[in-house]
Amino acid sequence: MPARGLERDGIAPYVFLAPLLVLLIAFILYPVLMNLVASFTEWKGYGPMKWIGLANYRAMLADAGFWTSLWNTGILVCYIPVSVVVTVFVSALLREGLPGWKAYRAILYIPNLLGLVIIGVIFSVYLRDDGPLNLLLTWAGGPKLRFLTSPWLAINAVAVIKVIWIHLGFGLIYFLAAMNGIDAGVYEAALLDGAGFFQTLWRVTVPSIRFAIEFWVVFNFIEVFARMFSLIYTLTQGGPGYATFTLEYGIFSQGFQKFRVGYSSAWSTVLFLFCAAISFAQIRLMRRSHV
Amino acid sequence: MRSGSSLAAGWRVLVQVLLVVLVVASLLPLYSVIAASFKTADEYVTSPFLPPRAPTLDAYAYSLVSARLLQYAVNSLVLVPVGLVLYLAVCIAAGYAFGKMRFRLRLPLFLLVLFLTIFPQLLLATQVFKLTSLLHLTNTAAGVILSWVAYFSPFGTYIMTTYFRDMPYELVEAARIDGASPTRILVQVMTPLAGPMIATIAIIGFQSMWNELPFSLLILQNQGSRTLTLGIAMMRGEFGLRVPILSAAVVIAMAVPLLLFLLFQRRVTLGVTAGAIKG
Repeated sequence: MPARGLERDGIAPYVFLAPLLVLLIAFILYPVLMNLVASFTEWKGYGPMKWIGLANYRAMLADAGFWTSLWNTGILVCYIPVSVVVTVFVSALLREGLPGWKAYRAILYIPNLLGLVIIGVIFSVYLRDDGPLNLLLTWAGGPKLRFLTSPWLAINAVAVIKVIWIHLGFGLIYFLAAMNGIDAGVYEAALLDGAGFFQTLWRVTVPSIRFAIEFWVVFNFIEVFARMFSLIYTLTQGGPGYATFTLEYGIFSQGFQKFRVGYSSAWSTVLFLFCAAISFAQIRLMRRSHV
Repeated sequence: MRSGSSLAAGWRVLVQVLLVVLVVASLLPLYSVIAASFKTADEYVTSPFLPPRAPTLDAYAYSLVSARLLQYAVNSLVLVPVGLVLYLAVCIAAGYAFGKMRFRLRLPLFLLVLFLTIFPQLLLATQVFKLTSLLHLTNTAAGVILSWVAYFSPFGTYIMTTYFRDMPYELVEAARIDGASPTRILVQVMTPLAGPMIATIAIIGFQSMWNELPFSLLILQNQGSRTLTLGIAMMRGEFGLRVPILSAAVVIAMAVPLLLFLLFQRRVTLGVTAGAIKG
């Protein structure tokens, strides 16, 4: 593109951007900044705001629910490497060419289409103590598992559904596309050198799709920190107790169920810091991959 | 499992088995909800998993009429397309500006858009609610549509930007020499050429809005104005609601995204890689 001055297009680009920018400022930027202000106040979400300094933050640090929410997020994060290993491994197997893969691909993609509310409602029935999955387990001679009523199982069930189950088909298509971009000659060379499947995977495939893997990790961090609410709301409502609370759900619970908006804004600040860090990581990755 | 490019036969069988297991794991929850939706409440209690003995549409009739799902579906089928048109207009215009135009604030503004793409809706919810009530948009279609377009546009803009940026610059230059205004270049030259990518973000936008919960939960407080997704989320919380009725509601709500997928399968799965990887 010929360089002809920075403002060559005059005012037109600003006009084209105006709708986006107005919406962004009103619905995203201003809310994020106002949360920060609200976190220093006592406020019900309506009526007057009363400045109380750091009291909300002190209360938050003394709140067991807050620490449980962080801990739960940590558990969810632990599933991200699992997701990477499983999806990359299965994709590598599929890359070898498997008859009938196209049909599998369409089926495995279905969960990704359904939306978190539908998925949450489906699993809220499917995983009940007397639900279909437990019936199958007992038929198979296994134990009954309290997926949604035992705290430890509940958060792990949420993690498996969100990090593994929903995105499996999506991940396979994504990594297969990335692997298709690898020069076939590299594989032939590896074959000539007598490299086995695992060696090829580790030495050739994984380094070649490093960007895709990094994107996948960042994408999953976004999902875990910023896209959990609708699933938790419909699947467990945060329960049992605080067992499936995340920061998002805590903000909802404190702000919209208990009307402690000032206090919930302190949680928002913590969530904001995490998301800002993830966002920076994503931008760095995007800029690096477009060099 | 020795050879690199062609797997041994035994290994191949193992992969097939693995895939079948994954497919079963993906479909079993969906099967069970579909099976339940054709049962009576009594049959579900005694047999929650097996196929229905005497399939009945009672649960569908109940959820469509008494549980007002038909009304919610109509609401969604009005709100989402209107939102989608606005979303496309916003994303195409902004994507073109970022992708093909020169202006001083291009990079800082683009980075701002990227930065704001991922923030969770709950982080914004309080103020979005305050804003909509300030503008008297609570319980209105306009309120929820604006919040959707605002929240989902940054990602669509990003995808359109990468697409427009990779288009040959000569197209713009030629139109400019012909004396076309920037608006004409965008509407009559670039937008038609960007058709495939517009279809992709249309599908992404449709899915996002169709499945959206937090903003509709806060803004649409009249029962009559609920979207399908919101209606189902609220049904889930109703005490003592029978499983077949809830299941029928879920199947009805699944129908639209699944139909879309059947019609546009290739484009939907292509969207997976849109704007994601380059190198």
